[in-house]
Amino acid sequence: MASDTRKWHRYLNFWRPNIAADVDAELAFHVDARTEELCDAGLDRAAARAQALREFGDVDLARRTLRSMDEQHAASERRAHVASDILGDVRVAVRALRRSPGLVAVVGLTFALGIGVTGAMYSVVDNILFKPLPGAHGANLVVLGRTEERLPMPHDVSFPDFRDYRADTTVFASLAAYASRVVELNTDRGADRIWIDDATANYFSVLGLRPLLGRTFEPDEDRGALAHPVIVLTYKAWQAHFAGDSAVIGRAVNINGHPVTVIGVTPPEFHGVRPLVDIDGIAPIDQISPAYGAALESRASTAVSVFGRLRPGVSLSAAREAVRLKAGQLERAYPATNRKVGAVLVREQYARPSITVSGIAPGIAAMFMTLVMLVMLVACANIASLLLARVVARGRDLAVRAAIGASQWRLVRQVLVECTLLALLGGVGAVAVTYGAVRAVESINIATDIPVRWGIELNGRIIAFTMVATLIAALAAGLAPASAARKRNLNDVLRSGTGNSATAAHRRLRSALVAGQIAISVVVLVCAGLFVRSSANAARMSLGFRTDHLLMLSTELRSQSYDSVRGQQFYREVLRRAATAPGVKSVALSRFVPFGYDRAISTIVPIAPGVQLPVSGFNYFHNIVGGDYFAAMGIPLLEGRAFTERDDANAPPVAVVSDALVKAVWPGQTALGKRFRFGGNDGPVVEIVGVVRGIQDMILGETPKPYVFLPVAQAYRSPMTILVETASDPSSIVRPMRAVVAGLDPSLPVFDVRTMDDHLRNGQALLFTRLGSAFATVFGLLALVLATIGVYGVVSYSVAQRTREIGVRMALGARRPAIVRLVVGQGMRLGWIGLGVGLVLSVATMGVVSSVLYGVTPRDPLVLGSVVGLLTLVVVIASFVPARRAMRIDPMTSLRSQ
Amino acid sequence: MPTARSNGASPDLGLLQGTLDVMILKALSWGPMHGFGVAKWIHLTTDDVLQIEDGALYPALHRMEHRGLIDADWDLTENKRRAKYYRLTPKGREQLRARTSSWDRYSAAVSKVIHATVQPSVS
Repeated sequence: MASDTRKWHRYLNFWRPNIAADVDAELAFHVDARTEELCDAGLDRAAARAQALREFGDVDLARRTLRSMDEQHAASERRAHVASDILGDVRVAVRALRRSPGLVAVVGLTFALGIGVTGAMYSVVDNILFKPLPGAHGANLVVLGRTEERLPMPHDVSFPDFRDYRADTTVFASLAAYASRVVELNTDRGADRIWIDDATANYFSVLGLRPLLGRTFEPDEDRGALAHPVIVLTYKAWQAHFAGDSAVIGRAVNINGHPVTVIGVTPPEFHGVRPLVDIDGIAPIDQISPAYGAALESRASTAVSVFGRLRPGVSLSAAREAVRLKAGQLERAYPATNRKVGAVLVREQYARPSITVSGIAPGIAAMFMTLVMLVMLVACANIASLLLARVVARGRDLAVRAAIGASQWRLVRQVLVECTLLALLGGVGAVAVTYGAVRAVESINIATDIPVRWGIELNGRIIAFTMVATLIAALAAGLAPASAARKRNLNDVLRSGTGNSATAAHRRLRSALVAGQIAISVVVLVCAGLFVRSSANAARMSLGFRTDHLLMLSTELRSQSYDSVRGQQFYREVLRRAATAPGVKSVALSRFVPFGYDRAISTIVPIAPGVQLPVSGFNYFHNIVGGDYFAAMGIPLLEGRAFTERDDANAPPVAVVSDALVKAVWPGQTALGKRFRFGGNDGPVVEIVGVVRGIQDMILGETPKPYVFLPVAQAYRSPMTILVETASDPSSIVRPMRAVVAGLDPSLPVFDVRTMDDHLRNGQALLFTRLGSAFATVFGLLALVLATIGVYGVVSYSVAQRTREIGVRMALGARRPAIVRLVVGQGMRLGWIGLGVGLVLSVATMGVVSSVLYGVTPRDPLVLGSVVGLLTLVVVIASFVPARRAMRIDPMTSLRSQ
Repeated sequence: MPTARSNGASPDLGLLQGTLDVMILKALSWGPMHGFGVAKWIHLTTDDVLQIEDGALYPALHRMEHRGLIDADWDLTENKRRAKYYRLTPKGREQLRARTSSWDRYSAAVSKVIHATVQPSVS
């Protein structure tokens, strides 16, 4: 009897015990017992009850006090109970996982690769394309670019145009301009080439960036050339050149031979406005040694990068309309320079690293994001599938526990705890892989003397997001079978020999997950394949000039204050001495190199014989060259002659032009003997003596642009790049060439020393294509590995389940090859479904990337064929391993084991 | 058995919570008892010198139950009525021993002071 009451009491206690009733009963008993006692002593019942209540005191107060005491106590008991249960679950889960190290390893690996690598890759893309610039307004910036009919992509803006946009439009809260250049910083430790932005005085206020030390520019510090020689150093330069000494603020330093006052230092997170480029300082435009001359005042030049902030409430489309109108006004006001010149306005993020990519950047960003997501999806599917298999395989274990009284919720919770533990474990691996991947990307070398900074931050956002996503997938995968497990008929499970509870629905779900993985892998691999093909095509593409056996090295005469006479003398001597070095076939000088970071546009005004045309000109790229330029560069001469030593300052000015220019200016005529004014209406009259074939210069795959070449002997410039055509490996003559320059003047800086091949492969010509294909390949391989794990998991699990069946088949005389066919066939069925779906998806979606591909269509049969072959192979191998295990099953053992 | 309890004014002994706990523990040291039994035993034993309202007893009982000093179960009385019976746990028994000895030392000390015959020497 007593024990019954106890149970009943316990029961009440567990399910929110009826505290109120218990308290009432206890107090009622007390009063009743005392009443009885008083009655027995002779009082009548009413009086007895009254006295009992009086003696008790405030019954109501007691009742309320007791109830609240008991309720609080019961609540804290329940909490302690749950906590200790979960701790127990964790212990059980750890024990269970230790028994299956294989599963733990595979899930850990999937997490590590899936989350780690995609997280790291995303961080790279994030920095280049998404992360806002430091400063209060970093996220709301726009970039203004100039379009020209003849150029396929937008460019930087001319300084006079910038001033007009700033003064005459009302859509901008502020608009700033800057141009990057190299200057020489002279300290006690010698001369260093540093990169600075020459900027308008509002550069920092547009960004909303406050200095770490000192101040930024006063509003009028960009007025009047050389009137305010000041500089704000970046944190990096301050540390590198001044050891972080705050005393440098207010001091004059020597830049390009002039005293320049350091007025401030930017915070460490600021590296300049262009991602990837790590500048050393910012100076007000045209305040440190003359650099621009007429270029700054020419509307034909694309001298400055322009960025700004929209006025609050102005939409991007309204602002675009305003700059379009202004561009039209400028075109009418300055037909000579602004004919067919328009303006584009894009969000700053889409113009990274420069306005020239703004047309394709959003597409590329979207593509990489999609790749990241897809690989994540494959990883999640894998984990879900593995956990599903695990839960299903533990069906018997769960059924036994249910049979001995474990509550259903408890069983479900056990599964969830295991999934969570696995997810946490995988997360640790993921972080390790992410660090490794980030290191690998940071070690990528870009061929330029521009200080490059990848600026990858291990983005906590990304890791958190991917972890949570995968955790949800893991829990969802665990929850479904766990809840199915509790509904199962225990008898069936316990009686069935296999001890598993795989229902048809579970098998279908797993199979669908694996087929889906294969389909996604197809898409990712096709994308990777297209990029690889495209990158290979790009590298093989004929650019119109020699890319092998060509060494380039640059020197700057201005820093040593050469005048043009000394400079010309130096150039002649360099050409003469270099040509005599062993292994040298030809030597040339060039102001600009193709696919470099620097180029110039000039106006040429054709002179018709006898007639002076009205003001009208053409803006074309030009280059200043010396020596055997066309021979060294391998550019074929189509008509006339190349420059000779006789084309010097005393001879009549001459030019060589590209065939594209002839076609544009004198279509259908010969250009030889034609004359034009170079640089505008008051420029020198130049006669064309030769025509060469055009070269690609800016974007891979472009149609060669009109080009004007002038001899350096008639148009002195510095810096110049020395181009050396060699008979053997060009890197072997770096030392002799450095010696030639040093032999003439040991104080001259020599920089940008590299072969043309290196310049193209690791420079802006091919680097991004190559990186794109490398990243896409990593994604592709990742998807492949994950899909392999998926197929392997499903097939080997199924083999384990069918051990008995296979044993029976073998006992009945099935040959081993038939068993292998049976198992591999199962894998292949999944493979074919996945491949079919994946191919359809690829063909349907790859049109998106076609704009960034060179010489390969999205339906390239070689790529599609290779992907199908590769995946088939992988599926066969992944199924063959478990098939071998099935083949070795001993019929006797398998039959007896039940 | 008293038929009534004096509710008249009595020296306010400022019943300390700890004191009540000790008395409950002592009451239960004879064996399991319901709240009414505990109250009755205390009234009898103290001759009602301590003015304890029965209502004040129950919060003490519940608190001690939550602390694990006593245990409670519902059971039937001799008259076949359901009542909540309290019983000492080993922890409660230990507590009673400790409190008893410290009470003895305390009361002996206070008693010595009150009955002291030696006048303090003022220097």
